[in-house]
Amino acid sequence: MREHEPLESASEIAVAVNHLSRSFGSRKALNDVSFTVPRGRVFGLVGENGAGKSTLIKHLLGLWRAETGTVRVFGLDPVAAPTTVLGRIGYLSEQPDLPGWMRVDELLQYLQAFYPRWDMDYAEALREQFGLDPAARIKTLSKGQQAKLGLLAAQAHRPELLLLDEPSSGLDPIVRRDILEAIIRTVTDEGHTVIFSSHLLDEIERVSDHLAMLHEGTLRLCAPLDEVKMRHRRLSLRFERPRTEPPRVRGAIAVSGAGRAWTVIGDAASIDRPAIARDGGSVLDDSPASLDEIFVAHTEASPATAGSHLRAVN
Amino acid sequence: MTPIRLNPSSGTPLYLQLLEHLKHSIETGAIRAGEQLPSVRKMAEDLVINPNTVVRAYRDLERDGIVVLKHGSGVFVRGSVVPRTDLMKKAEPILRSAVDRLESLDLTEEEIRRLMENELALRRTAKQTRKRRA
Repeated sequence: MREHEPLESASEIAVAVNHLSRSFGSRKALNDVSFTVPRGRVFGLVGENGAGKSTLIKHLLGLWRAETGTVRVFGLDPVAAPTTVLGRIGYLSEQPDLPGWMRVDELLQYLQAFYPRWDMDYAEALREQFGLDPAARIKTLSKGQQAKLGLLAAQAHRPELLLLDEPSSGLDPIVRRDILEAIIRTVTDEGHTVIFSSHLLDEIERVSDHLAMLHEGTLRLCAPLDEVKMRHRRLSLRFERPRTEPPRVRGAIAVSGAGRAWTVIGDAASIDRPAIARDGGSVLDDSPASLDEIFVAHTEASPATAGSHLRAVN
Repeated sequence: MTPIRLNPSSGTPLYLQLLEHLKHSIETGAIRAGEQLPSVRKMAEDLVINPNTVVRAYRDLERDGIVVLKHGSGVFVRGSVVPRTDLMKKAEPILRSAVDRLESLDLTEEEIRRLMENELALRRTAKQTRKRRA
């Protein structure tokens, strides 16, 4: 699992976050988050609304200073060296913040002045590919066209790090595909790095090679995507007698069901199958869990929202 | 090559889905011996999947001796890979002559089928025992 390190030169690190915490009042938006993103990777960030994804991305952009812990982008502190760091980042958020009064071609000129490494040929090629009229006022563009323009603006200076915060929220499948293609082009082109957050797990699955899952400000999972998938199994259990209490299964992350039929999402290596049999249960099906099931399991397994049995089995 | 359909939301990792698809295409002769597979970059961009996913699938094909990686020029299906359909064609006359000889011993169809299944089951057990020892 770990031996493959393709398309990546040495062990260069694009982003390093160490023990980052951030509170808003009494609420911990980020709680002791640590991870690194090697260059040339597509790092998928998942989590519910309010899990801390945008807060984390804003720290990477240097918009917020780390309360405790450190944030390094290309080895630099994005708060201390904003122009250097931002010049190497392309950023697109759910609501691209574009000047509505400008024309498309004016925006491209403006951005060229802003980014020393702006590639006008590339920008023009993308504009044509996205079917954007150069003479159109930005405020007259549809939501999908604005998203494409935002993507163009984030990409045309060939950033070493592309940061996408819920880029495909509320967009139609065609624009979503453009965004995914941009991600793939970014990593194939020059081995650049992408970090993107999404609640669309099949998008994450399609393009990411690394998965991080935030839940209530805490990093629940952070590993190569294949490893995450290999590590989680879904077991369908059937018990001889109906149960009023969920079965206690060692290695389970989430248990759901009723009566005789129960489903366990758990850790492949530590699920205790003999114990299930001793408990009067038989395994009807044992298959890899989907990312969706893994996500829901980890979300529900939170001590705050889950039943006490879940803490008991862990 | 037939269009590749990957299902990201299934439990099977994408690289395995891609690997199975390519193996199947090569075995059925949809991709011929000596043919070049699309570059990692092209495959990743066409399928809109992570290039590392393609690299992993190609590496497994290489490990299984199905393709060769030629540095700087690409990934090629090995000349020695015989499409499964061709193999099946070769198998037909062998089986025909075996069944002819069994029939000449006055065995019934049912008996021949049982003998065949018996033989296959014995071989399967022997294989599993060997694997377990290894």
